[in-house]
Amino acid sequence: MQKLLLFISFFTFGYGTLLAQTSTNATISGVIRDDENGETLIGATVEAVGLRKGNVSNEYGFYSFTVPVATDSITLRFSYLGYETQERRLVPKGNAKLDVSLRPQGSLLEEVTIVANQLSEKVKSTEMSITTISTKEAKALPALFGETDLLKIIQLKPGVASGTEGTTGIFVRGGGNDQNLIVLDEAVVYNPNHLFGFFSTFNPDAVKDLKIWKGGFPSQYGGRLSSVIDVRMKEGNNKEYDVAGGVGLISSRLTIEGPIQKEKSSFIVSGRRTYADLITAQINRANEGNPNYNPIPDYYFYDLNTKVNFQLTEKDRLFLSGYFGRDVFKFNNEDFNFLFDWGNTTGTARWNHTFGPKLFSNTTFTYSDYRYRIRNILQGFSFRLGSNIVDANIKQDFYYQPNNQHTMRFGGNLTWHDFRVARLRAGSDDGQVSFESGEDFTGTEFGVFFSDDWAVSDRVKLNLGARLSGWNNATSNYARFEPRVSANYAVSENFSFKASYARMNQYVHLLASSGLSLPTDIWYPSTDKVAPEKSDQVAVGTTVLIKDKVLITWEAWYKKLYNQIDFIDGAELFGQTNIETQLTFGDGYAYSPLELEIEKKDGRLTGWIGYTLAWVKRGRFPVINNGDYFSPRFDTRHNLSVVALYSLNRHWQFTATYVYTSGNISWLPAGRFTFQDVQGAPFQPVVPVFGQRNTFRYPAYMRADLGIVYKFRTKRSEQDLTLSVYNATDRRNPYFLYIDVQTQPAQIGGGTIDVPTGFQAKQVSLFPVLPTITWNFKF
Amino acid sequence: MKKLIVYSAFLMLFAGACNLTRDVEIELPDYEQQPVVECYLEPGKPFRLLLSRSYSFFDPLGLDSSFLNKTLLQGASVAISYNGQRVVLDNQFSFEPEPLKLFNYTASEIVPATPDVEYTLEITLPDGTTITGSTVMLPFVPIDSVVVEFSPTNDTIARTLMYITDDQTKSNSYRRMLHYGNLDSLPQQDFLANDRFSTSATVAFGMGYDLSPGDTVFNTIYHITPQYYDYLESVQLAILSGFNPFAQPSPIKSNVTGTANPLGIFTCLVYDRNRTIME
Repeated sequence: MQKLLLFISFFTFGYGTLLAQTSTNATISGVIRDDENGETLIGATVEAVGLRKGNVSNEYGFYSFTVPVATDSITLRFSYLGYETQERRLVPKGNAKLDVSLRPQGSLLEEVTIVANQLSEKVKSTEMSITTISTKEAKALPALFGETDLLKIIQLKPGVASGTEGTTGIFVRGGGNDQNLIVLDEAVVYNPNHLFGFFSTFNPDAVKDLKIWKGGFPSQYGGRLSSVIDVRMKEGNNKEYDVAGGVGLISSRLTIEGPIQKEKSSFIVSGRRTYADLITAQINRANEGNPNYNPIPDYYFYDLNTKVNFQLTEKDRLFLSGYFGRDVFKFNNEDFNFLFDWGNTTGTARWNHTFGPKLFSNTTFTYSDYRYRIRNILQGFSFRLGSNIVDANIKQDFYYQPNNQHTMRFGGNLTWHDFRVARLRAGSDDGQVSFESGEDFTGTEFGVFFSDDWAVSDRVKLNLGARLSGWNNATSNYARFEPRVSANYAVSENFSFKASYARMNQYVHLLASSGLSLPTDIWYPSTDKVAPEKSDQVAVGTTVLIKDKVLITWEAWYKKLYNQIDFIDGAELFGQTNIETQLTFGDGYAYSPLELEIEKKDGRLTGWIGYTLAWVKRGRFPVINNGDYFSPRFDTRHNLSVVALYSLNRHWQFTATYVYTSGNISWLPAGRFTFQDVQGAPFQPVVPVFGQRNTFRYPAYMRADLGIVYKFRTKRSEQDLTLSVYNATDRRNPYFLYIDVQTQPAQIGGGTIDVPTGFQAKQVSLFPVLPTITWNFKF
Repeated sequence: MKKLIVYSAFLMLFAGACNLTRDVEIELPDYEQQPVVECYLEPGKPFRLLLSRSYSFFDPLGLDSSFLNKTLLQGASVAISYNGQRVVLDNQFSFEPEPLKLFNYTASEIVPATPDVEYTLEITLPDGTTITGSTVMLPFVPIDSVVVEFSPTNDTIARTLMYITDDQTKSNSYRRMLHYGNLDSLPQQDFLANDRFSTSATVAFGMGYDLSPGDTVFNTIYHITPQYYDYLESVQLAILSGFNPFAQPSPIKSNVTGTANPLGIFTCLVYDRNRTIME
């Protein structure tokens, strides 16, 4: 195997000889875990003290690094943010396997170990434009309706715009909401939203870790232009049984986890459900028989995460995980039977195998399904509309570290896609009248990748990678080369320059008819007419670590987008036999000279300040704005966020967030005319005339949230009460603007109609100050 | 849990009760006034046309005659040609009584009912700019039947089902209107349909169980050109998105062009109408 790898490396990059290993080295490898529950730790640091050698654990907790063979013992230091640093001594006589379990720091009040290694690793790493969100941090922050939402925490990071207040929209560095590759345990999540985007599908109790790449994408990822959001589910406590949950304003959660076979296998089951429908059902029942009462439709969402893992042998580990979530909106009465439901299903089977101290393999099979359906049955007639996308994917990923200078990843994946696009069936029960429309597609997407994280010298690191991706279906065949390069020049231990370039291609596209994330948005494949979307992104930046506590990251970036998709004016998405007639294709670009993040990760006071100054444009659409460039809705010039968490003592924690963004862009009418139509009076007195697209900017958005967490323990449990005050200053932020037509009654055509007399612009806000209390428990 | 549900309901009511809408001052993009054409060639009726002006959105509105005079665009030369004939429309007011419609350019000639005839429009405005357009008289599509159907759960209320036969060899577009009482009322239904996803020649247009004995209902089906379909759809979308921020705005898709940069529609009106009185 090693010879094969050397062969590939030589012919691919021409530096195969650099990888040669001598017998004077010993490789130490193993897995780093949480001591309390056995969860693997992603991104933990291991360092040979005094030897300036070390590495970081990968997404499966595996690490590997090489030291010279010696007869004297060396000290290995393992560290991870929020965990006690551990030192182990060993004599490196030859290759050795060393699994390590780190103990979490008991309480934020207890003496905090300064984990300088963790932050200095960020200075040294070739990775840039990356952010990690921990669920522990996210749960402490104030949240809308008290519902902790990992995607909304991402929105507080620089380079990420949220689109619309309260929703989980993610617009990364000028990219669209569909240009994010969102994976849950490596399975693609096509719609990460509940309740029209107000909540995400990720139950924080089931999630271990979330990483987002905004640029400098690793070559193992592909298929979306603007970001990669990698969500990892917890594996389950393999040491003892835990029951945890929470009761909030909107939903309740319950998680059960524990060992199947102690320290060898474990399971986790986590569920969540809203209960607004229980309230509305009571209100409807109380009004039964009231002829003036219109029943409130039922709405609820739920999701279920499950995972089991087995340590099959010392070298083999198997993970099986799944997600199932649905939103359900329904309304029934004697004549009317309406159902609208939507949701994701994902499944992952993953096999980790350690071939030896230098080579680690991950084989994954994933299944993803996103669908919505609308059904309405009236007396004698029925109407059914639905779309779905189903994926089956197999992926092989190797992680190979021949020596301390090189960490290589290579592999490939193959995905089979099945699309049902806007499938409509309507007609009478007797079959006399029937309508049918919609399209079905299949497609195959593949990618092969290679990367080498190469420590050229103590100061210079390069990450050289490439991905060859492709797409094939009945009408199209595309193959694309995607170079990925990043570099780090460390001026000192605490100061480095970074740069990266990444090309991405996207073969499946979301046709979204509004600025919101609606469940009826349609995933559509590349075809002979719809070419793959493409992006090129260049970023430069610096990372500075001050006093081992405060990390300052500055980046500037430019992104060019090709083959962007938009609708022609007045497009109709449904009832089409060829939806492509409603599409138009153009380009886009975005840039920022200043994307700044100041992070403080330890001490009583932690948090970050993020600021982005950016410009975003779309254009060269033949039928939009005469081909001129225009600002998309989410072209917000300034984005500032301040997040602070202060731990007073072992019981009390205070949190605050502040957000300022420039207003969204909107397309408002410039003129109006009167249209009497065939109907005559009463005619349409005000028909708006829309001119150039997106020329109006909403007022700025500002919001301050406050939170207080009170933690307490009983003999058998840990509990907390979290008070969250959303929009604490009760500011009326613009959710949307509209122009109200003021009218007065007039006698026209023998009847009385309302005739317009003037206009008034109105601003609608969504959320006033919203205090909520959430109770969380763990037994 | 019960207390929590009560608390939840209280907070929801609290949020609903908060005043979340307020007046704001905004500045809209600059706008240059455009001429607006409305011309419907209806077999058996005179050639008539309404020529008016558009306004900047926030320009004042009015109900008085001076506002009407400002809105109507007078003094233009208007002519419609078909089958080698040229009909000149004089700058003269005329009214349609039911439903009430106003025209400021009129001719005495009557529009023939011959299908498949092409009509062209030529307008020269007082400033010398021009407007042109063309359309065609589509074949008449009759209503096959209007069926009255009573509710299975309440035999005092009923609905109508209107059936037409669609020519499946051609691509056709329709406008369906439904009026209660009289044609001067606001339509209960007014929507566009086309046959591109119909799998049967029979097309039905229904309604809710909403009719009681003594009610009168008018079912109307217009056979319209794709250009008229696009125009109406763009008008509907513009109206919807002018006041609904989540709708996709649409510029007006006119079928008149020219150096005057006009808006509007020039089309023939081919329709069938059924009047039903509930017994």
